[in-house]
Amino acid sequence: MTLLELKEGDTAVISRVSGGKGVSARMAGLGLHAGKKVRVVRAAPFRGPLLIEDISSGARTMIGRGIASHVEILDEKP
Amino acid sequence: MWKSLTKSHNSETVIALAGQPNCGKSTIFNAVAGFKVNTGNFSGTTVSYTETHVYIGGRTVRLIDLPGTYSISANDIAERVARDYLLSGQVDVIINVVDASLLSRSLELTLQLMEMNVPMVIGLNMIDDAQKKGMEIDIQALTSLTGLEAYPLIAVQGSGVQELFDAALKISENNFHRVPPVYDRDVEECIARIEARYPSLLRERLKMDTRFVIIRLLEMDEEFERIVAEADREFLEYVIENRRFLAEIHDWPESGVFASHRHALVLDLFEQVVAVKSRTGTSLSEKIDRFVINPVGGLVATVGAFFLMFAVSFWFGNLIADLLEVPLETLGSFLMSHTSGPTAMLVSGVYDGFTAGVGIVLPYLVPLLVILSLLEDTGLLPRIAFMADGLLHRFGLHGKSVVPIIMGYGCNVPAIMAARNLEYERDRIITMLMVPFIACSARTVIILALAGKYLGAGYTTLIYLGNIAIALGVSSVLSRLSADMSPGIIMDVPPLRKPYFHVVIRKVWARIMEFLLFAWPVIAISSIVLAVFSYVGIDDVINRVLSPITTYILDLPSELGITLFLGIFRKELTLIMLNSALGTTDVSAVLSSAQLLVLVVFTVLYIPCIATISTLWKEGGWKVALLSIALNTSIALAVAGSLAFLL
Ligand SMILES: Nc1nc2c(ncn2[C@@H]2O[C@H](COP(=O)(O)OP(=O)(O)O)[C@@H](O)[C@H]2O)c(=O)[nH]1
Ligand SMILES: [Mg+2]
Repeated sequence: MTLLELKEGDTAVISRVSGGKGVSARMAGLGLHAGKKVRVVRAAPFRGPLLIEDISSGARTMIGRGIASHVEILDEKP
Repeated sequence: MWKSLTKSHNSETVIALAGQPNCGKSTIFNAVAGFKVNTGNFSGTTVSYTETHVYIGGRTVRLIDLPGTYSISANDIAERVARDYLLSGQVDVIINVVDASLLSRSLELTLQLMEMNVPMVIGLNMIDDAQKKGMEIDIQALTSLTGLEAYPLIAVQGSGVQELFDAALKISENNFHRVPPVYDRDVEECIARIEARYPSLLRERLKMDTRFVIIRLLEMDEEFERIVAEADREFLEYVIENRRFLAEIHDWPESGVFASHRHALVLDLFEQVVAVKSRTGTSLSEKIDRFVINPVGGLVATVGAFFLMFAVSFWFGNLIADLLEVPLETLGSFLMSHTSGPTAMLVSGVYDGFTAGVGIVLPYLVPLLVILSLLEDTGLLPRIAFMADGLLHRFGLHGKSVVPIIMGYGCNVPAIMAARNLEYERDRIITMLMVPFIACSARTVIILALAGKYLGAGYTTLIYLGNIAIALGVSSVLSRLSADMSPGIIMDVPPLRKPYFHVVIRKVWARIMEFLLFAWPVIAISSIVLAVFSYVGIDDVINRVLSPITTYILDLPSELGITLFLGIFRKELTLIMLNSALGTTDVSAVLSSAQLLVLVVFTVLYIPCIATISTLWKEGGWKVALLSIALNTSIALAVAGSLAFLL
């Protein structure tokens, strides 16, 4: 499952970031790497980016859908 | 690359500010630098840096504000440039600026910087935000675990900055003892194995910490791999073998295995240094944020920013322009009455350049740059980008292009400056090439004055909509033509913050100075050339040279050649000169409706004005400026030419 399949408000743990070194390094720099628990705060209109919150630090990042489809997660819906 | 560089001066201490984007580097820089700053581009790139010379504790310090980077992995040009600079041997001390409210994320970069083993201190900025989040940071623990001195800061209030710089100046290669990050046993064993075989040739070529070089290789850093391959292929193979082994035993992709270990260290460090107390209620900024990230709130913010920009450039801009008119004219007639002959020509050229500069800077640049700075500093910019990204993607653009586009309706110059916020070169260039198609306020005045007056509201609206369609069409086509794909948006969304007046003013001032230093000479020289032209009475020649365009392609009277030519210098000149060129005050008596339409459409689309061209040149290089001229002119000729042909 990938981040893209989550709905607003869902939380999940990132298991892996694929899609090349550039993408994973950039995500890692923003603190979004395997093991991180994140929440989808909002999905932008017109198939725009997702607003993701890193639950431990509260830092927010927007990531385009193309990139979100490379972020694999462990499902953790309540 | 790095090898030839040696320490620059003996007398000067070079301090570089390094940190992740939005951590407050520039705020610290400005607090120290005041108003005397230089900006430049790193050679061969469009990545810019800012530097200043200041005296601190009796020493001359060269302080450099590097572009913000999330890591030193050289994922993009900014990262590569910042890293190369830090490794060049020119830097005496690194000040690693850290957003304390996002400490765990920021430490990822801190650990990487520590691995370079260049003298370094930590500036723990945004301590106020960290406290609001209930974070308590044990600075002594941080220092004893890393060996790095750390100082708390609230840069916007200037507090802690002095102490930080005093400490930075006391540190040198001799008394700097960081505690190198120690990884898992497997990783350390792997590093030790590689270190044992570290070729001496490489040690000579790369005057850097060997452990650092090994770690770069374990992180699949392409630049280091290239250098090592040149020096010793076999050694590189050995490193790769070890890297694969590490990836296998940890069941992790080769590219991420090292980063994951570093991340574990960061978490560990974070837990030992930070205690989080429970938080107190929701703050006002969080409430506003909740509103703004909703579709409705986001739309309100976006449309609001757009209208604010419009109001400012039309109402405020025109107000200022009107206020300036009388003093400038008085100055002009004073100058004219006191000079004659060739001197008069030179003086009038300088005067025209001066008025053109003032006519752009005060009414448009200042207010629009204030808005830009407010959007950046409050954190509204990323939120607007969030809302607009999906829509703009369809036109090959990017969420971050939204601000240049909005600004473009006021004045193209700050719009092109705002394109700096786009981190990928591809996106930035497409945005910079698209902006000159947007009808800025000067061109909007032409649309209103000619189309609005003689053709009616229907045509005016059509011209405006057509202009938007062309601008979006240009960006769509450019993005299809571009070889690379946009990697898509990944953008930090900092909390909404209250803007600080002095921060905004400094930023605006710095940008205005940049513009003036670069664009003013261009404007002044071209105005002098223009004055020479009109002194020699070259109007006729220009009309004749341009007549194939004016009469054949556009089906306009050849007398308009000179007005179109003047429009390159300032778009308003086309309108001002129109009456005198045609010898009438009623343009519709000389031009048919079709001709008027063609004239307006052509004026809106053709060559961007001199100020825009020089800004394009400064921000994107001369190739981008030339490409923009070619693109605008050919599309203007094609569109206006076909209108002339059809009507
Ligand atoms: N609350 C708070 N905001 C700060 C502080 N320092 C900087 N800022 C704000 O953080 C934002 C980013 O700062 P800037 O210097 O542009 O960051 P840079 O990207 O590292 O150059 C600006 O809006 C600043 O006003 C601070 O100590 N506390
Ligand atoms: Mg900055």
